[in-house]
Amino acid sequence: MNGNDRPSNNMNVSLQHLSKKLGNVAAVNDVTLDIADGELFFLLGPSGCGKTTLLRLIAGFYPTDSGTIRFGGKPMNDVPPNKRNTGMVFQNYALWPHMTVHENVAYGLDVRAVSTAEKKRRVMQALDVVRMAAQSERSPNELSGGQQQRVALARALVVQPDVLLLDEPLSNLDAKLRLELREEIRRIHRELRVTTIYVTHDQQEALSLADRIAVMRDGRVEQTGTPQALYRKPANEFVEDFLGVANFVEGRVTEVSGSQVSVATPQGDMLCTFDGQALSVGQTVTCVIRPQDVIVLK
Amino acid sequence: MNRRLTASTVALLALLVAFFGVFLVYPVAYILRGAFFVGGKFTMEFFRLVVASPLTLKSILNSFWLGIFVTALTALLTLPLAHVFTRYDFRGKSLLGALLLVPLIMPPFVGAIGMRQFFARYGSVNLLFGTHIDWLGDGGFWGVVVLQTLSLYPIMFLNVTAAMANVDPTLREAAQNLGASPWRVFRTVTLPLVLPGLFAGAILVFVWAFTDLGTPLIFGFNRLVAVQIFDRVTDIGTNPMGYVLVCVVLLLTVALFIVSKWLLAGTRYEMLARGHTAGAEQHVRGWRATTIQVGVLAVIGVALLPHASVMLQSVSDKWFFTVLPSQVTWRHFGEIFTYPLTASSVRNSLVYSGLSAGVDLVLGVMIAYVLVRQKVPGAAVLDALAMLPLALPGLVLAFGYLGGFNVPLRWLNPRDNPTLLLVAAYSVRRLPYIVRSAYAGFQQTSVTLEEASLNLGASALRTLRKITIPLVMANLIAGTVLTFSFAMLEVSDSLILAMKERYFPMTKAIWALLGRIEPDSVSVASAMGILGMLLLAVSLVIASKSLGKRMGQLFRAG
Repeated sequence: MNGNDRPSNNMNVSLQHLSKKLGNVAAVNDVTLDIADGELFFLLGPSGCGKTTLLRLIAGFYPTDSGTIRFGGKPMNDVPPNKRNTGMVFQNYALWPHMTVHENVAYGLDVRAVSTAEKKRRVMQALDVVRMAAQSERSPNELSGGQQQRVALARALVVQPDVLLLDEPLSNLDAKLRLELREEIRRIHRELRVTTIYVTHDQQEALSLADRIAVMRDGRVEQTGTPQALYRKPANEFVEDFLGVANFVEGRVTEVSGSQVSVATPQGDMLCTFDGQALSVGQTVTCVIRPQDVIVLK
Repeated sequence: MNRRLTASTVALLALLVAFFGVFLVYPVAYILRGAFFVGGKFTMEFFRLVVASPLTLKSILNSFWLGIFVTALTALLTLPLAHVFTRYDFRGKSLLGALLLVPLIMPPFVGAIGMRQFFARYGSVNLLFGTHIDWLGDGGFWGVVVLQTLSLYPIMFLNVTAAMANVDPTLREAAQNLGASPWRVFRTVTLPLVLPGLFAGAILVFVWAFTDLGTPLIFGFNRLVAVQIFDRVTDIGTNPMGYVLVCVVLLLTVALFIVSKWLLAGTRYEMLARGHTAGAEQHVRGWRATTIQVGVLAVIGVALLPHASVMLQSVSDKWFFTVLPSQVTWRHFGEIFTYPLTASSVRNSLVYSGLSAGVDLVLGVMIAYVLVRQKVPGAAVLDALAMLPLALPGLVLAFGYLGGFNVPLRWLNPRDNPTLLLVAAYSVRRLPYIVRSAYAGFQQTSVTLEEASLNLGASALRTLRKITIPLVMANLIAGTVLTFSFAMLEVSDSLILAMKERYFPMTKAIWALLGRIEPDSVSVASAMGILGMLLLAVSLVIASKSLGKRMGQLFRAG
């Protein structure tokens, strides 16, 4: 299984003004995103921000209220979930307890009426990729959380999906396993280069893996960009706050020169950089101090 | 939770062992002895006779097929209903769900009285269309199948719905995501996971249909093992064939339970961590909702046909060779309380059912308490004994009582006074419901509340009385009410054990009335059936008010 197995067409995902109400809550509110072919794209936000709903809209489990979903330019709104050729890894893995690991992974190939020999080859290949080939005859109940996660990943990958959808795939694992599997996902994505949409509330996961990230709040996308861009130039306090530990100090601008600004704060005078809208002397601003940017001198 | 056995626990266990020993183990052992031993010597001779007699062999086979057909039909009827009720949310869902359970409030044989009037050779349907079709089919066999299906499907529905609701929706979504069509998702994911629940319901339905006595009696279809046993009640002392047939029923039901346990071993999947459940119930509107509502209403309409027919029969004054009764009257409801037979039977039923509900309440609380809180050795045996009556047909127990308690004690021998044994039979048969209900109550109540009471110096008994029982009251009320109302409508125990008219309970009185030649007696019997239904309906409303949504748990096998 490698990148060449995938259909060669350009499988970008385009969402235009997508909205979805669940009950009376606007779970997804006018979201527009363009995800490039082969990109590892993250939806990041606190719980209840609508990221999982957005992923389920892309998978087709909910009908959209308005807006369009396109895969490789083809409209998907009216395509039922079983015809979208996405591979989804569920937060709880959703492995079928009445089937073995092998049967779980083979399921999608059975649906696609792949020949027996070919099926066996591809299942074992997929299990190899996630390093679970030795456990292929086990029942999911006998596997640890990390192993279940790998099987779920293999099950989604084996059908060569146009888009891989990961719904908080690591959130049920302990900290050590999380780091391990994070590397695993990075490796597999590099090998296969399948367009991947990854939902998480863990900003470290997003910052360390993502090609690009969309930060969400209350059903809206607050900011989209590369990890460096988001981290260095957060569009607002929410993004800033959500992306990492930071100290905020309020003060008044005393001097502006180029992209540097002097601010008088209760803790003393500070020299800050800024971009975006122009600042003027006397304005009240909030300065952000990142812990890793602080150097302590003796 | 101490593992030490206190004196009071020992006394409690001794009482339970004595009760089960006398009223459950002894009669069953008596039947086995009657079937296998003659003059103290073991013999299989009688079983050879069963196979050699074409009538008994045919009866056993008929009963078997009856059970199979009823089980298959209830499953076929229930699977789509359960699917709709677990997957979709639509207008009127809770009302329709409640109406679907209405058949639980009437024993099938009462419905048979009314249906006979509709579908007999000179019944309403044939008169209406000028036909002479034998609607009841093959001497009544298919009539029994339909009647039992219509009255037993709620049990299957409750079991299957519970199993389906337990299937994590993401398991279906994962299959859908991998390209499976809705039918394929059902076949490869939902059905295998629901199978244990389906099986549990199927066993209850099969045993119920296999041993039901009332319905075939009303339809006059006597080539069934239950009816054959009933016919042998009169020569119970002289002819061992009755014991042998009861033994066949007993062995078959026990074998069935064992086989199902074995088949299901390893298929009770612990569901892994549950996923996102927001998409569990899909709200439907428009034509899809209408299709669902019309479909469910059609089932309810057919299922309530027996009830409607009994109602019609109960208010009919003259109903001979006409489609509908030519005159209508409420008189028969009054006559229930003026006829000596019916008036005393209502009183008897209230006494028997009241006493048995009381016995069950005390025993059920004790058993559940011991099982949940005391952790005594042999708890598994106690649990099995308390649940055994689920697998034990009333027919078997009643026959064992009749044979085993044929002693010269006027207060014990059912031939003289069946009160004690009827109360015991009702109690034993309905004990599983109240044990389960109380068990759930104890489990939901934190043990620390009891420990606080013990810590303040209260005795174990005082703690039970002052703290525990008040906390599990809702469960106890529900369990007791159900025990009471099902005792009111118990058929096979009542038909077999009550032999003197002045001790007849309602169900036996209904049966006796049908055998009379007075023109009104069928209508009075129907009026009694309606009275019983109303009583049971009120009881169920009380029970569900105190238990809320957990009501369905009481009818589940798993």
